[in-house]
Amino acid sequence: MSKRVLIVDDAAFMRMILKDIVSKNGFEVAGEAANGVEAVERYKELKPDVTTMDITMPEMNGIEAIKKIKSEDADAKIIVCSAMGQQAMVIDAIQAGAKDFIVKPFQHSRVVEALTKVLG
Amino acid sequence: MGNEFDQYLSTFIDETREYMNTLNEKMLQLEREPDNMEVVNEIFRTIHTLKGMSGTMGFEAMAKLSHRIENIFDLVRNGKLIVSQVLMDKLFAGIDLLDKMTGAIVAGDSDSSVDISQLIAQYEKVLSTGSVEDIGGAKKEAETEPEKGSEPQEKTKKENEKPDKKSDEREYFESPIELPSEIKMVLTEGREEGYTPYYMKVTLEEGTLLKSARMYMVFHKLEELDSEVLLSIPGVEKIEDEEFEDEVEMVFLSKLSQQKLVDSLMTISEIENIKVFALEMEEEPVKEDEESQEEEKEEKIVETPESPEQESQGTKSQRRTASSKLTRTIRVDTEKLDTLMNLMAELVISRSRINETLKRYDIKDVDESLAQLSRNTLDLQNIVMKIRMVPISYVFNRFPRMVRDLARNNDKNVDLIITGQDTEVDRTVVEEIGDPLVHLLRNAVDHGVESKDERLKKGKSSTGVVRLNAKHEGNNVVIEVIDDGKGLDRDRILSKAIERGLVDEVSASSLNDEEIFQFVFMPGFSTNDAVTEVSGRGVGMDVVKTAIENLNGSISMTSEKNKGTNVTIRLPLTLAIIQALLVKVADLVYAIPIVSIDSTLNLPTSEIQIVQSREVVVIRGEIIPVVWLKEVFNHPQEEKPDNIHVVIVKAGNKKYGLVVDGLLGQDDIVIKSLGKLLKDVNEFSGAAILGDGSIALILEIANVVHHNV
Repeated sequence: MSKRVLIVDDAAFMRMILKDIVSKNGFEVAGEAANGVEAVERYKELKPDVTTMDITMPEMNGIEAIKKIKSEDADAKIIVCSAMGQQAMVIDAIQAGAKDFIVKPFQHSRVVEALTKVLG
Repeated sequence: MGNEFDQYLSTFIDETREYMNTLNEKMLQLEREPDNMEVVNEIFRTIHTLKGMSGTMGFEAMAKLSHRIENIFDLVRNGKLIVSQVLMDKLFAGIDLLDKMTGAIVAGDSDSSVDISQLIAQYEKVLSTGSVEDIGGAKKEAETEPEKGSEPQEKTKKENEKPDKKSDEREYFESPIELPSEIKMVLTEGREEGYTPYYMKVTLEEGTLLKSARMYMVFHKLEELDSEVLLSIPGVEKIEDEEFEDEVEMVFLSKLSQQKLVDSLMTISEIENIKVFALEMEEEPVKEDEESQEEEKEEKIVETPESPEQESQGTKSQRRTASSKLTRTIRVDTEKLDTLMNLMAELVISRSRINETLKRYDIKDVDESLAQLSRNTLDLQNIVMKIRMVPISYVFNRFPRMVRDLARNNDKNVDLIITGQDTEVDRTVVEEIGDPLVHLLRNAVDHGVESKDERLKKGKSSTGVVRLNAKHEGNNVVIEVIDDGKGLDRDRILSKAIERGLVDEVSASSLNDEEIFQFVFMPGFSTNDAVTEVSGRGVGMDVVKTAIENLNGSISMTSEKNKGTNVTIRLPLTLAIIQALLVKVADLVYAIPIVSIDSTLNLPTSEIQIVQSREVVVIRGEIIPVVWLKEVFNHPQEEKPDNIHVVIVKAGNKKYGLVVDGLLGQDDIVIKSLGKLLKDVNEFSGAAILGDGSIALILEIANVVHHNV
């Protein structure tokens, strides 16, 4: 069974790009969320195999969301999506428990590599 | 990234526009409340998202500009730059350029067609100096770059575990890098405690982004594996600053095997290659004591200048629910909505036909279900109409910014007060109403509101007020643009009208104000001799009027000298369904939009007079040309009847009398396009299916009368 991915980003556009990459490479899109609060809820509900998490989002940012998710499921596999210039936040996210990060603009191969490695 | 993302373009554009609106709105708020950190954060987030989106689409110029703006806001939110007017102007300029780029992208052009180099240079100056002084702004007492960790001390903790003897079976190599003696010491000591000293060279994939975060993952992983990094080349500080190519060498202590290390580290993505080997250590006497300055390393990597979470923690509780609301909406192709609307209309028509048919048979049993069906279709119709409705704020959003700029350019103080921006109108109306409103607002600010001095002289407040109101009134939406400026110059308009031969001096004296103001809507009519940047664009009120009329709307104007001008636009709520008068010509039914109709009359044919070889009727002293629709549409004309039905219609400022064979009544009709094949037929704006299943063509009045008079 293909692995299920939860996609979290406040921009519908970015979610669309990611969904496309994810589904074209043999993963299944479990669901999506547009902010941290939603991400936590959706995570509980969907129990995805892996979650891609944008950092800068309204309501609750990605790092908070990672902490929340990790506090409830220590095994949660989360990949942070970051933009250039967010080095510090990426590091925070990894400390919070993110397994890997991908950088916008996304390159298909890198996204797939991150997903595969995190799931492997 | 090229063509593969073309399919995303429309989503990208839609979303970008939304973000541009948010940006403008928040920037204006920031201008009023320069200390509002929540606003700063929101702008930061928005511009950050824009950067990511544009980068993904391969719009590099746009991404670059957004990035610089983002950086500036980063300084602002970290208290290193204060929001000054100069800074705001520069930022507004940047947002304008982003807007321009969006426009270029929409037009199928490239974002790089917009020149951003000058602004980027200015931004970079601000960013490098941390001040807008050079471009004339204020600077906040800013601490210099937050302290970064000094080169980490390569010390390690002592572990109290027993040495693992198996590690001795490994192959050892000499270290390829020079090891300072204290490191050697720690390594030796570590080995005593069961650790193996390793040398490792990590090579990142070419083109890896955020390299230092990537390297951090390596350090982080080693930490998780209970390994202790003692030395890295380049040093941690350099790694933090991304001052390295794709390779980092390091020396560390670990209890794991070489293979296990490689396997674990290779789970980190974007790592091209990892070379690990155990180090050969010459035995050296172990010194005690190097104990307690440790753990510095990891800490240092983490302590980067920014404190990224500050933002969300401070503000998340107050954040509005706007974004969660957003996610409960979906985007639908407008074409699908149009189709839905059409199907809905068909359904309404079918229902009417069933109704008509069944009436003839008087079957009690179906009455109830028919009534139910009627209610359902009516509800459905309302919902479909509502789906097509969008709040007029979509158009209004950009006006505060525009008025601000106009006022600044003219050195005037103008407050724009908007009410009713939640008023919903059909999306087609929203798309078309923007330009006319821009023009009206420009007129209000440019010609309406007086200069500060002039206003003070007149005893008014130096700040002019322009109001933009929207509200529902029956089946119409009414939009008003009201200014408290100098008002229209009645006498000047009149003399200009006389000069241009629009009216003779004799009849001029009998005109009332409203009639005089109507001249303003005449093509090319302008009382302002000086062409200003804002309003002198060759687009006069006549264009506004035409645009409004194309939307089946109407426009009127009242004005009082030194009190101001009030322009009122009245538009149908939806363009898909209009009110029409159904008329009979020969045996066909035609529909005339109610908005075009002045009055209807029943006259003896003998009242038609010939003036300059044209047929006219004189109604209340007005000479109105007559158009026989039968002739226009080539229906055979038998001999003329004794009495005729005349529908007086307005086209531009002129009236015409359309002669029809009969008036059938007023009805709501659903406009259907005639399709591509008939696109050259411009006498009809479309067709409508009537309750009895027959078809009525809808007259495009302006074209019917112009072709035939």
